[in-house]
Parts: sequence; structure tokens; C-alpha cells
Amino acid sequence: MGEPVAEGGKSLMKESWNMLLTYITAAVLVFVLTFHLLLESPLVGKTLEDTLTFGVATGNLVYYRIVFGLLLLTAVIHGFNGLRVLAVEWLHPKKLGWLLNLIILLVMAFLLAVGTVTLVVVQ
Amino acid sequence: MKEERRYKSGLIQSLNPLGFNIERWSYTVHRATGVILVGYLTAHIFETFQLGAGSAAWANTMAALHSLGPLEMVGLWIVAGSALYHGANGIRLILNEVFGKLMGKPILPVYPYSPTSLGRNQRIAVWTITAVVLVLWVWAGLYLLAGLGVI
Repeated sequence: MGEPVAEGGKSLMKESWNMLLTYITAAVLVFVLTFHLLLESPLVGKTLEDTLTFGVATGNLVYYRIVFGLLLLTAVIHGFNGLRVLAVEWLHPKKLGWLLNLIILLVMAFLLAVGTVTLVVVQ
Repeated sequence: MKEERRYKSGLIQSLNPLGFNIERWSYTVHRATGVILVGYLTAHIFETFQLGAGSAAWANTMAALHSLGPLEMVGLWIVAGSALYHGANGIRLILNEVFGKLMGKPILPVYPYSPTSLGRNQRIAVWTITAVVLVLWVWAGLYLLAGLGVI
């Protein structure tokens, strides 16, 4: 048996790698998002000042910053790759599939840049 | 071979709930909650980005959100439910698709085509997830109401 191919002989292995990425980011997200929610949920109902003090204080701890960075990376990759899969399932783009991938990649890069700037700048 | 029109009706057909089985409902809710979470993620990234412009800019953004009153909490409650369902159902999907668990063994497609992937274990898993998520979602709602000082 050879490599799975789509109509026109195009390899389907790229989608398999994408699904593997989706599963890996999902598994990581279960842990880092649970951590994030447990850390931040006590702030519900607190004043803006308390929230800001707590957020900056935790952000200043290097381990938390690494976890927040991992959360940003996995959430953006998992979320927007999921959105791409949804668009492919609904719209079945044949000729404009590359454009969809490009738009998703650009949005992902933009959001990762915005999130990284926040993580680096806010002290 | 010319493709039949119904095979190209992906978007419209996927929104028609008639004839869905339990796994198809789970598939639909998984996708709907995923879209909600992507929307929240994008908004959350921009909200925290305001901190880079100073605490006053961030406080203004948060004050604008708080001015929505109970609507803000309803939004957060929907996001909490989406995260709970998407996460729990996602774990089931990983067990299914990556490890092949909870699914029956493949059989020859003999009429009346009862799919082995929709066996007892799968149904128990879907209903258990739904029940646990509903309980946690109610708890999350009470937690948010307590935060508002309502209860």
C-alpha cells in the first residue's frame, strides 16, 4: 500500500500531520488551560486593581510566563487549525485551498506576535 | 462521474439537525463550541495586549466590558461551558481516533448497516461527558453569580 492520495493524486499525508499536531496541542491544552483557569478563576468578582496586581505578579514569575507562552502557542495553533478544518469540511475548496491556508497562517502569526509582545512587554 | 448536488451541500446540510444520531450531535456541538472558543481566544489576546499600553488602557477596556453588566457574565458562562464540553469531548475523540478505544471492531458492511463505532461504550462515553459537563457548567454559573455578589 502506498501513500494515501486525494483526487488528482495529491498527497493526503499533510492532513495527517495536521491532525497529529491537533491531537498534540489538544493534549497539552488540557493541562495548561486547566492550570490557567485554576490560577485566574479566584479573580472573578475582584476589583480591577486586584486583578491587575495579581496578573502582573504571576506574569513576572518565569515559570508562569513559560506556561502562558505554551498556552498561547498551543491555543492559537489548535484553534485556528480547527477553524481551517471546519472551513475545509464546509466549503470543500479545491482551487482556493492554498488561499485559505495562507489566511489562517497569517492570522495565526499575527495573534502569536500580539500575544508574544504582551508576554514580553508587560512586567 | 458527475458529483451529486447533495454531496456539495456541506454547510447547509450540516446545519440541518434532522436525523442526527448522538455522535453527530456531539460532532456538531464540538465544532460550535470550538468556534466560540476561537472567538473568545482572539478577544482575550487583544484584551491582555492592552496592558502593553499601560494599566489605564487595560482598565478602560475592562470597564467597557464590565459596563455590559450581567451580559458579560452570561458570555463568560457560555465560554466556560464551551471549554468544558470541548475539552471533555476532545479527550473522548483522542481516545477514539488516536488510541482506537471505545469503538467496536471493524466488520463487513452488512444490511442494516449498524456502525460498530456507535456501540454501547461510545454511547455511555458521550452521555457521561454530557452529564458531567452539565453539572460542572451549573457549578460554573453559580460561581460566576457568587462573584457578582448575587448569591
